[in-house]
Amino acid sequence: MKLQKSFPNEFNALFIILFLLLFIGLAGQYSASGGKFEGQTLRHLIKTGIGLVLLGCVYMTDSKFWSSFAYLFYVAVLFFLIIADLSGIVRLGAQRWIDLYFFVFQPSEFMKLALILTLARYYSMLSFFETGELKHHLYPILLVLLPFLLIIKQPDLGTAVLLLCVGVGMILAAGFPLKIFVSFLISCLTICPFGWFFLRDYQKNRILTFLDPDRDPLGTGYHILQSKIAIGSGRVFGKGFLQGTQGSLNFLPEKNTDFIFTTLSEEFGFVGSVSILLLFAGLCGCFLWGAFAAKNKFSRLVCCGLGILVFAHVFVNVSMVTGILPVVGVPLPFLSYGGSSSSTFMISCGLLMSLTKKENRGVIF
Amino acid sequence: MFNYRDPRIDVKTRIKIIFCLMLSAIVLPLVSLYRLQVVDAEKYTLLSDRNRIRLSPLLPKRGRIITSDGKTVAGNNSRYRLIADRCSGKILAENVRLLDACINLSEEDKARIFGSDKNPLIVIKDELSWDEYSRLSMILFRLNGVSVEIAYGRDYKMPLEFCHVLGYVSRSGSNVRTPTGKTGIEAVFNAKLSGETGTVQTEVNAVGKKIRVTDSRDPKDGEDVVLTIDSELQKYVCDLLSREKAGACVVLGIPDGEVLAMVSVPAFDPNLISGRMTRARWEAVIKDPLFPLMNRAVECSYPPGSIFKIIVAFAALSEGIISPNDQIFCSGGVKLDDRVFHCWNRSGHGRMNLRDALKFSCDCYFFETAKKVGIDRIVKYAKKFGFGSETGIELPGENAGLLPSKKWKFLKYGAFWKPYETMIIGIGQGAILATLLQSAVMMGKLYSGDYDFSPTLIRGVSKNRAENPVNRECADIIKKALYRVCTEGTAAGSCHTSYGISGKTGSSQVRQIKTGEAGINSKLIPWKYRDHAFFTGCAPRENPKYVVAVMIEHGGGGASAAAPVARQIFDKLMAK
Repeated sequence: MKLQKSFPNEFNALFIILFLLLFIGLAGQYSASGGKFEGQTLRHLIKTGIGLVLLGCVYMTDSKFWSSFAYLFYVAVLFFLIIADLSGIVRLGAQRWIDLYFFVFQPSEFMKLALILTLARYYSMLSFFETGELKHHLYPILLVLLPFLLIIKQPDLGTAVLLLCVGVGMILAAGFPLKIFVSFLISCLTICPFGWFFLRDYQKNRILTFLDPDRDPLGTGYHILQSKIAIGSGRVFGKGFLQGTQGSLNFLPEKNTDFIFTTLSEEFGFVGSVSILLLFAGLCGCFLWGAFAAKNKFSRLVCCGLGILVFAHVFVNVSMVTGILPVVGVPLPFLSYGGSSSSTFMISCGLLMSLTKKENRGVIF
Repeated sequence: MFNYRDPRIDVKTRIKIIFCLMLSAIVLPLVSLYRLQVVDAEKYTLLSDRNRIRLSPLLPKRGRIITSDGKTVAGNNSRYRLIADRCSGKILAENVRLLDACINLSEEDKARIFGSDKNPLIVIKDELSWDEYSRLSMILFRLNGVSVEIAYGRDYKMPLEFCHVLGYVSRSGSNVRTPTGKTGIEAVFNAKLSGETGTVQTEVNAVGKKIRVTDSRDPKDGEDVVLTIDSELQKYVCDLLSREKAGACVVLGIPDGEVLAMVSVPAFDPNLISGRMTRARWEAVIKDPLFPLMNRAVECSYPPGSIFKIIVAFAALSEGIISPNDQIFCSGGVKLDDRVFHCWNRSGHGRMNLRDALKFSCDCYFFETAKKVGIDRIVKYAKKFGFGSETGIELPGENAGLLPSKKWKFLKYGAFWKPYETMIIGIGQGAILATLLQSAVMMGKLYSGDYDFSPTLIRGVSKNRAENPVNRECADIIKKALYRVCTEGTAAGSCHTSYGISGKTGSSQVRQIKTGEAGINSKLIPWKYRDHAFFTGCAPRENPKYVVAVMIEHGGGGASAAAPVARQIFDKLMAK
């Protein structure tokens, strides 16, 4: 059949994992909006649908398209990012959104993809010998730092940190000298305490309460504490679908965006939380497979970058809601409500499939 | 040395390392989840429940206390109580700010509200006035987790008349929501009156708004208690006694021993104590030199004075030591071991038989008789009449009085009993102590016929039908004499009536009389040195129905102070 031809078997694993995650996400949204389908849940479903269409579109494109337009894409997103910083819409105390009349979007979200593509494009032009030299890594470092600083200024620590993770991960994967990286890391850690003075008050507070959540249980530590209570009270098998009390009685903040994992964890318990984590591990596996299956260096690096992107989101988000990292606004891929985030990850999956089509594949090992 | 390596393999190795690092990093959130959901699950379940579940009591109505004539003397009034949920400090602070603007909270209240009480529900104001309530209802919808509940407060009708019998309730202590009886009937029948508190379990959201009721148990209202006391008589007696500084009166019915009236003055207002008691108000009550909280009829004991002569006479008759007509000469005093014990009539009564001795309350006669009977036998008969032990009335803190004996003296003072002490006991002075109720019960036992007599405050209590320990024949002789007391003797001035009162006056000294002071008008002595005045009597002569015992603290003399009061009470009783 035609359909079978266009979605070949090797993407079965990816599709099973993707649809399971989408289904869980829908259930989570349904539960977080108090068992109502209309409103939030319906909008989430529509956005998921749009995302799937995007995925299809990206899949149809040729891999050469992405490598040739990578720089342009990066410059365009950077432009929007500057616009957002200058005249963006302020929501929740941060200037992250741009109103494009027909929809409001977060350029910082697309910067993640743009950065991956740009770095991949840059490194694909370098030879192995060139990657061993430090001077060839100066442009990529600038490419990472520029959006990083712009996003920190919004302020959006979560996205900025993720961008940094992805950038550093890709630069390392591309062949950055490990010795220099390690010595840089050590010097960073020693300078770190001085960075404290450059943080905003709410960021300082978040870090302080992260270090001691009971410091002020009804103030800034409230989010972490309530999230931990919700997760803990879910116990091994959970309170049951729609039976969560922390979410439905509004003890949880941001229960359908950043804290969607908490909502699900309370209702499905340890078993449910581990299953979700395993699904994400599987998704990362798909990207790993892509990195090995791809024919050229560009595709390989893109897949690697996307894998790091997904992983970093899951790691930071779950660590944040379980209280091992401070609260920074990082959504959970496919589960959290939000159009920009959902389209980013749909496009990521589309890219993975596009770059690893049969005709683009090389020898895996 | 130049070592050629294919860049493709190198990138792959690096990617492999990165993915391995990621895989190992995922262990971190996994461990954290395991800790939260498996290891500490119990703790977080508890915290989650504490977040959302509120247990609030459904208060029962406290049982009423009703008099025998059907008047409710202790009832309930409803009051509005302001409750707040302390779910979140921010919301509570905002609520308190709004409430303060509306009903003015005191600094003390605020400190309590923000204090470290574990209960998430807190009473902001216990009693809201109508004015406050109506102002509050305008802003109540803006306050999250604040509600007004209807609570019951104790309401005493005729508080001064019934305060000592009923006692009072208080909401202090462990259970701040339900009143607990502290003294009197309220304390003794607390369990019956309290009923059972119900509970309602509600689920609240993050701002303390009630979402739904998850469980509830209805309260069980307390049962009523019906007293034997007649409210009209109680009021009458109280009005009579209120003319005195301090005193008490007990009216008992024969043969069932029901208490028809029990009054002690000065009184206190239980409504003030049961409501919101301030420290100043409480200190004013407990520092009053007249101790208004004391029920003088049962909680205080006094030397019974001449009333005790009845016991000595009865003991002598029962033991056959004297016969009613044996005469003893009263010269105004009895000499013993170089000490003279004076009769109250210093010029002497002359020849006295038992009847005359009781009639005129001759001390010499009873000095001699007591000496003959001896302390052991006096104590034996006094016990039969209920002295030295509690009467078992349904009131807390009853005083047992004191019956001194040889053994008691030895144990207490390490000294032997002296003969003169027996003589003094013979006229109801010395170490002996009895409550007013005990002297009323003595009278009851004397007049109740075949059955034993014990007092009760509760209507419908099944009566003790034990045999009366008091010998009928001897009792009859004493009864005749006691009738004479009120027709020809010490009480003749006030108690000579057509229906016939039988009784005995008594004046108990509160200090030793100094030479030269005897016979001085008692009104001239400072109040606190005056004798306590007693009268205990029974009426009517045919088929006696009522015992009245009156005690006027520092009243002067039994005949002049106590007997006239008793007479008025008897008149009231007989007019019914």
